[in-house]
Amino acid sequence: MLLALITCLPVAAAEVVRSADGQTGLAKWSFTAGDLEIELIQRLPDQTRGFFQARNFPVAVADEIAGNCIFQTIIRNRNTSGAGHMVAIDLETWRIRHDGAEGGVKLKESWLASWPEATLGQAARLAFQWALFPTRQEFLPGDYNWGMTAYGLPAGSVFDLQVVWQSEGLTDSGWMRGIECAPDVEKLK
Amino acid sequence: MSTIAHLPLILLLLCGVVAADQTLAPVPGRPPAPDFNLPDTGGKLHRLSDYRGRPVIINFWATWCPPCREEIPSMNRAWRSLRESGVAMLAINVGEDEDTIFMFTADYPAEYPLLLDRSGEVISQWPVKGLPTSYVIAPDGTLAYRAIGGREWDDEKLLELIRGLKE
Repeated sequence: MLLALITCLPVAAAEVVRSADGQTGLAKWSFTAGDLEIELIQRLPDQTRGFFQARNFPVAVADEIAGNCIFQTIIRNRNTSGAGHMVAIDLETWRIRHDGAEGGVKLKESWLASWPEATLGQAARLAFQWALFPTRQEFLPGDYNWGMTAYGLPAGSVFDLQVVWQSEGLTDSGWMRGIECAPDVEKLK
Repeated sequence: MSTIAHLPLILLLLCGVVAADQTLAPVPGRPPAPDFNLPDTGGKLHRLSDYRGRPVIINFWATWCPPCREEIPSMNRAWRSLRESGVAMLAINVGEDEDTIFMFTADYPAEYPLLLDRSGEVISQWPVKGLPTSYVIAPDGTLAYRAIGGREWDDEKLLELIRGLKE
């Protein structure tokens, strides 16, 4: 029902650009539509493993996260005129198409609920909570946020992502096609 | 006219795009700022309510957060400019220990107090969803302005807004 509603929505005049991240050389995709800008920057699974292991995550849990196609994600309200509108996102409404199947973004709430307290301590939970992108967030002009988003796909997968946002009381959407999960360099050795 | 003749104008326009205006959003209804009592890296306790009567910039951050690192130099410059006019600045680190912050500040020195919220209890009481997020507290202890994401804190427009809270 939700998917049917979203696919009926008008698609904004959006632009998607693929390039290489200036710092890491990894691929990144930029989506712009009106005041909204979304950037997805590949994270190597080994980067993600290292990040969480350094924050006292058990190896198995860090490996589980790293194997879920993680992107460094930046969402921004590009309007800095002071007269712009709020842009709101809800990752729960974003859709993934991969190999003919539809799915959703893997949300941090579902990860956290899946790990018993004995598996993951409070400090590690706190690090995870702040490292992943918020499920829902509102951006006033000039606001932006960084965080990881997870797509639940194997390393190297290629997928299309439908992003959905609200602005001025209207819901809009657009597709980012051909997004590539980073390869797992560690497993290629 | 040739492209070369247009170059100064093109560069000017490009600079205009890059040097975007810095914004602080007014907080609707100005709710009271949740109080806290947190130690800084030197062990000194800071209670927010003790700063009543002065504007206070509260910045939530972590060492692993790239835009948090990026805004530290401009926060230092803003702090130098604002401290003499009675504005306080407190940066609250979320979830990390003194050793991690000590190592970090060797590369990214911060001149303002760095407070530790190791358990995340304080940030959970504030309307914060991502790092960095900053609030400017009015002298009456209410949340006046908010910034989600990093800012160039020494931007004169931002400094004027903050100084304006003293009036």
